[in-house]
Amino acid sequence: MAVTSSSGTPARSAPQGPAPSRARRGGSGLGVLKRFLTLREGSIIVVLVITVIYFASTTSKFVSGSNFKTLLPYFAPIAIMAAGQVFVMTLGEIDLSIGAMYLFTPFLYYKLNKAGIPIVPSMLISLLVALALGAFNGFAVAYIGIASFVATLGMLFVLDGVTLVISHSEQVTTPGTTIVGVTTFAQIFGEGTYSELIWALAIVFGLQILLSFTRWGLYTVAAGGNRLGASEAGVNVRLVLIRNFMLCALTAGFVGILEAVRSSSASPDPSGSNAILFEAISAVIIGGTLMTGGAGTVVGALLGALFLGILNDGLVIKGVNANYLDLYLGIAILIAMTINVYVNRVRIGSGRGG
Amino acid sequence: MAADQTIPDERIVGPRSAEDDVLRVEHIAKSFGATVALRDVNLHLRKGEVLGLLGDNGAGKSTLIKILSGFQKQDKGEMWLKGETYTPKSVDDARAHGIDTVFQDLALIDQLSVYHNLFLRRERLHKPIPFLSNALMRRNARKALDEIGINIPHIDVPVARLSGGQRQAIAVARTISGDADIILLDEPLAAMGAKEGAMILDLIARLREEGNVSIIMILHNYVHVFAACDRVSLIQDGVIALDKPTSETSVDELTEIVVEEYRRARLEAHVGNGAALANPVAASDPLVATDSLVVTDSADVVDRLAAADPPATTETPADSAGE
Repeated sequence: MAVTSSSGTPARSAPQGPAPSRARRGGSGLGVLKRFLTLREGSIIVVLVITVIYFASTTSKFVSGSNFKTLLPYFAPIAIMAAGQVFVMTLGEIDLSIGAMYLFTPFLYYKLNKAGIPIVPSMLISLLVALALGAFNGFAVAYIGIASFVATLGMLFVLDGVTLVISHSEQVTTPGTTIVGVTTFAQIFGEGTYSELIWALAIVFGLQILLSFTRWGLYTVAAGGNRLGASEAGVNVRLVLIRNFMLCALTAGFVGILEAVRSSSASPDPSGSNAILFEAISAVIIGGTLMTGGAGTVVGALLGALFLGILNDGLVIKGVNANYLDLYLGIAILIAMTINVYVNRVRIGSGRGG
Repeated sequence: MAADQTIPDERIVGPRSAEDDVLRVEHIAKSFGATVALRDVNLHLRKGEVLGLLGDNGAGKSTLIKILSGFQKQDKGEMWLKGETYTPKSVDDARAHGIDTVFQDLALIDQLSVYHNLFLRRERLHKPIPFLSNALMRRNARKALDEIGINIPHIDVPVARLSGGQRQAIAVARTISGDADIILLDEPLAAMGAKEGAMILDLIARLREEGNVSIIMILHNYVHVFAACDRVSLIQDGVIALDKPTSETSVDELTEIVVEEYRRARLEAHVGNGAALANPVAASDPLVATDSLVVTDSADVVDRLAAADPPATTETPADSAGE
């Protein structure tokens, strides 16, 4: 090529020989990297790997079975709640009431059981109530036209308030759990060591399939990407909004019960539940779901939750002073998101080229 | 004629319905708050006919299309589809009745792939678990685009990456590849270059030849109207002010009506201001009055259209606008 490209005309035709082969060679190594980075989850995976390598190389206890078990409750509940939130945020909306829902359902479950209803029906009724409240969120957004931020903020305070009222601000023992020994019910719904992890993986897997391979998911992306266009094309956008808010409320309500069973008790502490709200939303965004809607990933949200869990856990293992924990956590999230943005830029750049 | 047009009610053209009407619309009215979009619209469409809908911005063309397509409901008036009362509840419902629409904003989802957009609301599913059959949709999309003759290199890319013309072509292809027998097109040639526009016009010419579908098309370009349409309806102030076969009218007649409208609008504006008519010469000059309405893309396109459809463009519309 270098030899023949001395005159004008051959120079134009000469690169056509080697260029495709170079592209093909690039296709094997660089192409795989490109393909990986064009994944919506690509950037969070890079960030996650960097974080794991950092903690694994600076602390000895990080890579161990027992630490893995301590890590689980940090991220499994967040992953489930984030999975539901992905469906709302892909629509370009947000559900701020998931923390309050998480707080509320265990107390409803407790009250129903106290009223003489067996544990399983009590749990199912609690989840149905969560669905109904989610439907109300969706209705407020889709039909009344309240911004989801405001509608679900209202729901947040209502549920926090109701929880404080019905609990009289007192901690309760979760029905279905015993102080000595473990029931099968409790084993399945949170108390078993890997119970929450299995639930998280199953729910994330199921919801990712719902998002990627069904009409439900397609319409979610469509309504999030171009709401007017989707409705002109015949998508029932209001229905999509309502059912996604219902799904989101259901996951939050379910996690509330799982966590109450796991810890055998529920305490009416809105500040704790609101911290979980923020962690779940962070996990969704860090995972690669756009806040503006039109694109989302449930697996990404799981990885985002894993990142937050590892960060929390790693900092504790490193013996960071408890007072500094939030500070470091905040800085780490900002750094991680910055890396995320840059990797994303590569992702979009490579996408444009391909 | 010019005098008649100053009295709005006499401009209402009655429904000259025929035996083979597939769609008939009578006394349609629609307001948005204080804004009257449609006052009293009567319209009919014969089987296999291509009807061009003309009118100034805000005349109510898009509103009429949205009512016909089931996206909005009329305040007053009735519609008949193939002899039966037609009251679409939604876009889906209209589609089930065989009416499909290409909206002005195209209703494409930027984030979705070409084939997902083509099959939006007509998804192909696996059995028994209703997962999306992407492979089938991809194949059928490729086939549909090839059949129509639209060249889209990659059907896996999000439509955001495509040019304006390609996007328009996909929106048109989505509607045409369905099983609608009445197709509504709201400015199908907007955002298109001459080449892409010619492609869409060819497509419509082919559908017209086959005669299986009836088409209502909103257009701005008179040349396109005479090249592509059997009949033309002109909407003014929410009523149909002219309804004629293209063979019985001319660019001059359409221009005259529009000029008249501008003259009247100008007069009203000045009367409203209590001022005299500032420049009557300018108002009667079609170039000044209708610069946005009589659009001829380029001599090249005009020639090509003339060659494709000689009788329609004997009036050499370039002359009326190109001085």
